[in-house]
Amino acid sequence: MKPFDMTRPLSFLFAGLAAATLAVAPGLAFDDHEGGDEDEGDAYYAIVGGDIYTGTGEVLRGATLLSKNGKIHEIGYELYLPEGTETLDATGLRLYPGMVALSATSNLSQGNFAPGLEFHDFTPHEDDHTICGDCGKFYEEIVPAAVDPGEVSTTHLAVEGFRTDFDDSFDPFGGYLVMALANGITTAEQSNVAIKLKRGEIDGVSLSESQLTSFQWSGSNPSGKTDLRQKFRDAYQYLRDIRLWEELDKDVRGDEPSKRGIDSRALSVLEGKTLARFSANEQGDLLGIARLAQQYGFRPVIQGAVEGWVVADELGRAGAYAIVNPRVRRDPNERLAHPNGSSIENAALMSAAGVQVAIVPANTRIDLGGSAGRDLLSLALEAGFAIRGGLAEHRALQGITTVPARMLGIDHRVGTLEVGKDADVVVTDGDLLHYQTLVQYTVVEGKLVYDKSEEIFYAHIRPRQTEEVVDPGEEAPADEESTEESVED
Amino acid sequence: MKMRKLLFGMAGALALASPGLATPDLFALKVRTAESVSQGTIEHAVILIEDGKILTIGQDLEIERGIPVIDRTDLVVTPGFVDCYSRMGMSGSGPSGTFPWLKATTELYPRQDVYNDLAEVGVTTLGLYTPGSGISGQAVAIDTSGSTVDEMVLSDSAYLKAVVRSNSSSRRMLESAFEKVDDHHEDVEKAREKWEKAQEKWEKDNKKKDKDERDPEPGPFEAPEPDGVAGTMMKVLDGDLSMMFGIRKAADYLHLLDFIEGREFEFSLRVPAVNDLDLWEVTDRIGERGLRVIMEPRLTTRAWTMRERNIPAELARAGAELVLIPSGDNLGGAERWRHDVGHLVKNGLDRDAALRAMTLAPAIELGLEERLGSLDVGKDANLLFFDGDPFQPTTNLVSVMVGGDFLDMEDVR
Repeated sequence: MKPFDMTRPLSFLFAGLAAATLAVAPGLAFDDHEGGDEDEGDAYYAIVGGDIYTGTGEVLRGATLLSKNGKIHEIGYELYLPEGTETLDATGLRLYPGMVALSATSNLSQGNFAPGLEFHDFTPHEDDHTICGDCGKFYEEIVPAAVDPGEVSTTHLAVEGFRTDFDDSFDPFGGYLVMALANGITTAEQSNVAIKLKRGEIDGVSLSESQLTSFQWSGSNPSGKTDLRQKFRDAYQYLRDIRLWEELDKDVRGDEPSKRGIDSRALSVLEGKTLARFSANEQGDLLGIARLAQQYGFRPVIQGAVEGWVVADELGRAGAYAIVNPRVRRDPNERLAHPNGSSIENAALMSAAGVQVAIVPANTRIDLGGSAGRDLLSLALEAGFAIRGGLAEHRALQGITTVPARMLGIDHRVGTLEVGKDADVVVTDGDLLHYQTLVQYTVVEGKLVYDKSEEIFYAHIRPRQTEEVVDPGEEAPADEESTEESVED
Repeated sequence: MKMRKLLFGMAGALALASPGLATPDLFALKVRTAESVSQGTIEHAVILIEDGKILTIGQDLEIERGIPVIDRTDLVVTPGFVDCYSRMGMSGSGPSGTFPWLKATTELYPRQDVYNDLAEVGVTTLGLYTPGSGISGQAVAIDTSGSTVDEMVLSDSAYLKAVVRSNSSSRRMLESAFEKVDDHHEDVEKAREKWEKAQEKWEKDNKKKDKDERDPEPGPFEAPEPDGVAGTMMKVLDGDLSMMFGIRKAADYLHLLDFIEGREFEFSLRVPAVNDLDLWEVTDRIGERGLRVIMEPRLTTRAWTMRERNIPAELARAGAELVLIPSGDNLGGAERWRHDVGHLVKNGLDRDAALRAMTLAPAIELGLEERLGSLDVGKDANLLFFDGDPFQPTTNLVSVMVGGDFLDMEDVR
């Protein structure tokens, strides 16, 4: 990646700011910072002069965001910028927290930034027998043809600390990765692993793993519901037993209650280690999940929730999260006496009832063909649709930043622009949720990873004015002369 | 047996390409230009060759009376081309796994026309690798003009080939191979402790005894033999064997560095030059390390565009040691080789780097830089005779010399 030339667009505003700081109280500025925690090796990056939408509700107009070693160090006005600070002029632009994309699978993953399983026969390459001539892939990468892609679950992700298989397979140069960054996505979830979309480096890519545990709850499978209820009941009973046992004196109490037969996944949900994730759309199922959650005291994550608005109060009381595609429309069945169906207002109604709404597009991969416009690249646009349905603007922004971050257990690092969090910043030329807005720059952990004018995707749309405006009074005659000369030559 | 015949009389203009040419033990060669590779281009070069080795080389050297002279001041001479990455004359795919001790020599089947044909199109040295994924084994370097295994094999342990991809199984493969070395060192340490204890015990028991009464003294320490994996990987870590990692994209390189973190050893990269190759993302990082990169002479398009990039040229500029191989692993590919490289030169590859990438750089890859790859004193007299600039499409390869003898070029088109 080419380093962005910082010197050119450094406008008078920053120059003025720095001058003002020095002029007002240079001694003060140094007293505050010198001898402090500054280090030679520290990397500072400042985004100067933009309107900062922190994601917490505040907006700081014409402010500066300073990052130190990838974390947000300070946000505010007239900040002291240590020597060697790289700066990005964001005058007239807006800063938003980087978006968090849920279930960003498929096209994003296939050999572009994470492992994908391919399913076809191995035909050796004519030059290199170890790779397939058709796709250029390594034998093992395409052989497990019998494996159902849905089966690749947490067991596939051998975990040591925060190191997952994604750490060993992340492609920090993939074109789809750059596309995601070009649309303001800086964090993505794949197979329950949260991944920071770093460019050009592979260290510290996994943020968390297995935060979500999937369960089945479907009206078409009554015995499955009974089984699940039983699992939670057993786990609940086990936790009660063990708490009682712990309270008893060591001499009196017997053996520790056995974990045998207890469903470890249900247990981890009740212990608060993971969140239970369901996929449900019908109001009956949603109600069942809400009651189960209330009964055993956990917060369910519900993917879909198409008819969520009908039972919004129950979901809100259960403290549910909903992963919603605002553009899903379902015509009501007129033969039913109770309210049913779904419209663009679904997200707004659920949010009003206290459900934490995360927003996803209809298709959670990057699709350059069929569902373009409804794919991952339109994540911000989807949030805009939820606003059209009545969702408050800040809730819509939260639906693509803080709420998914909370679900993934990474809200201490991403989701808002606050001091101490990762400096993942999207710099746009307008309201992030407006369809005409384009991302101008994306910064991940204090490094510029996307510059609209440097990449092939959107550089041609409303090209950025980079040349200084020439005063026609002075420059024009000289130009005329030179052209005349060259004609004569 | 090489197709050579004795040469009678060394008068004047000898038709190099005609059959029935062999050379005396000592002779001088006069050519228009010698591309020495190591010391640049030498105009009006005189090369003195004795017993198949280059005795001296220089510009307009005086030739002592009595030394037979081959005067071809119309021709350009380069070192014989070295293709270090091939499976020609071999077949089948290999097993997948860790087999560093396997050698491609065992697969070598001499007396195949393809090898002699290669020599006649200028590829005088060939590196044949072991097939298969994983750490598949050691390559063999052969003299393509030979006709028996003994004549052909120059080195049966040229480099150790491994295929690395961005995934955890590659990490495990490399880590476990190197852990075998650590395990072996532990075993040796344990054995040594045991031996030292035995030694102490013997001394304690036998010190006061008479010579005749003493127990037999324990022999000198014998370290346990490493197994195939540990033995080969030790050679790698000791610098006796270099590794060639087959990778496919820029990310693989970063992950490879991550996988071998903390282990210092010599290695090179084999990257197929295919469209969408994003290696340009890391050319600076590869250049910083001065790594050898083995690839085909091909312009590749940048992903999602029709923009062509000259990645070999970018690598050479960044400081990497570029090693080029024919685009197709067959005789046709070898014949087209210099034209393909010429195309890269036309598109910005440094000409010296291009010639080096076909001669000295692959010779280094094969560990044969002391014998091959440039026109230097003491090296084998493997020479190619062109009637012009070898990178020009109209130029013909007139004659080939291997080890000081001309090949019989009857079949050459």
